Amino acid sequence: MPTHPYPFDPRTATLLDALKGAAQLSASRGITIYDRRGQNADRRSYVELLALAGRGARRFAAAGVKPRDRILVCLNTSWELLEIWFGAVLCGAHPVLVAPPAALGGAASHAKKIEGLVELLNPHQFICDEAMRNELIEFGAPAAHAVCMTTQEFLAAPSSDTFSPPLVKTSDLAFLQLTSGSTGRQRAVQIRHSNVIHNALAMAEFSRVVPFSDADAVVSWLPLNHDMGLVGCLLYSVVQGINLFLMRPETFLARPKLWLQTISANRATMSAAPNFAYQLCIERVDPKDLAGLDLSSWRVALTGAEMVHPETCRLLCEKWAEQKFHPTQLLPSYGMAEATLAVTADRKCVGVRTSPMPAGADAGLGMNEVVCLGRPVLDTQVKISSMSEPGQFLAEGALGEVYVKGPGVFAGYYNDDAATAETLYKGEWLRTGDVGFLKEGELFITGRTKDVIIVHGHNLMPHELEWLAEDVSGGGGSERCGAFSVSHGGDGEQAVLVIEAGTSDAAQLEVYDKEIRTRVARALGLPLADLMFVKRGQIPKTTSGKVQRRELRQRYLDGTLDRLK
Amino acid sequence: MERSAQENQIVDLLAKVSKKDRASIQPEQDLVADLGLDSPKTLQLLAELEDTFQIEIDEGDEGRISKVRDLFAYIAAKKK
Repeated sequence: MPTHPYPFDPRTATLLDALKGAAQLSASRGITIYDRRGQNADRRSYVELLALAGRGARRFAAAGVKPRDRILVCLNTSWELLEIWFGAVLCGAHPVLVAPPAALGGAASHAKKIEGLVELLNPHQFICDEAMRNELIEFGAPAAHAVCMTTQEFLAAPSSDTFSPPLVKTSDLAFLQLTSGSTGRQRAVQIRHSNVIHNALAMAEFSRVVPFSDADAVVSWLPLNHDMGLVGCLLYSVVQGINLFLMRPETFLARPKLWLQTISANRATMSAAPNFAYQLCIERVDPKDLAGLDLSSWRVALTGAEMVHPETCRLLCEKWAEQKFHPTQLLPSYGMAEATLAVTADRKCVGVRTSPMPAGADAGLGMNEVVCLGRPVLDTQVKISSMSEPGQFLAEGALGEVYVKGPGVFAGYYNDDAATAETLYKGEWLRTGDVGFLKEGELFITGRTKDVIIVHGHNLMPHELEWLAEDVSGGGGSERCGAFSVSHGGDGEQAVLVIEAGTSDAAQLEVYDKEIRTRVARALGLPLADLMFVKRGQIPKTTSGKVQRRELRQRYLDGTLDRLK
Repeated sequence: MERSAQENQIVDLLAKVSKKDRASIQPEQDLVADLGLDSPKTLQLLAELEDTFQIEIDEGDEGRISKVRDLFAYIAAKKK
């Protein structure tokens, strides 16, 4: 007799088993997708989702897609996306979701990004909408255009009558998750079926969900190309066979109140978001729009994917008190794509707990207390490694790099053995690049060893900014530059760029300033918190000439850099 | 150059969303680089424009709007 509620054996299950399980035990439940304005709910049952996935798989099969082929997809949250994603998985192919362009005027750099991904992944197909395909032609992305198929073409394509799902094992790869690599280029995190099933079970344990029931429901506006949206909301809901309400990210960003209204209207029990989203609600949701809302059902208000700010949590609980949102509903968590998603979660349910920032911790993010992120999830271990001697594990309370071991740890980066070896210590411990400490078995994150800049839950590598700046100055301009992040309170992090200039001519620097800001804006959709020009030799470097970004940030924060402009 | 009433309304919204001084907003400015509109602020602006002018901004159009003057032209074309 199984001791679990699932109609499949979690030790051997694949996503197809999970889909079938939802269709079998939750035939009356399913997924609701709202349009761009958060209206016109389009609801389909899990039985229909299983049928759609089969339809998608038969089309891929007719198009000659084979197991392990990559299918690159750039679509908004929609039924088409779900048909394509699950259809590819049923074929044994590996879907890879990439974000649509978010930036104003960002069409050209988005086309360039897609071209780079096609070169990295060599996908069988790249599926997008008509407008994006036109941009591939206009902005010169020939490799992407060559494998491009629009959603309409996919939906009109012939379908195989003889398709039967290939034999897929739980240890096989299910999909790839894109993330920023340390060199600034995209990397594809390989996730197995077993990783996803484990993550859904781990989340079920700490969220106390009742699978295959109406007791729980999930609301999400998170992008499905983001691990928290895909694994934490969509796949979690499918494995648990519970109702899911999906909104598009832009619906939330345009009108944040719609998130809260959707939770209240559907009596949702679970909804996750990065800290910035909660902050956005504090700033932009008018108290009159909160009137009549009841947020008491929202048992698990997950906060993760970027630093959790105690101040945001406090303000939120004050602001939503009348809506019956209790501080114990906020659940800080820690996770990352390389661990499929969940690593730790606070399950004490006594409200957000903090600890003073320990001496010697990186204070660059401007926080004097850090939030408790809870204990490791199911069957997962977290240890703190010495920074100077990787793999030398430290006692409780000591600061060091966070290492993770468990069934969620990924299967390496696609086609990048060097990066995989660097990230997996002894092939089993995931080096997270985050710095923190353990206290009574619970994790606190204080900073990071890697130079990543996290804006709105998305990771950005300093190289991505530095390259854009280095291109501008041509011969006589900037010599070197360094990018890093600074804290902007509850808004999260913002990027600062420091550039060594070969001139102190104010007019010339003004030209560079404008050009660099515009380039960064176009390519990354990101305003710079500061762009500082300094004299040559001011940016600290190693003996081999590598920019020391952490030292640079320290000097910037200390005010010891001489600003030319 | 004299601004139309519609352009003045757009500048009001830009000032509100970007939290910049209204008088400092110029047609040649870049919405992201100069006015600091990151993606949440951009979407807030689009929502405010839709509500104020009773228009629907089509998906993907924002990829081609870079400067304040592009926005003036876009809204003018939409209102025709």
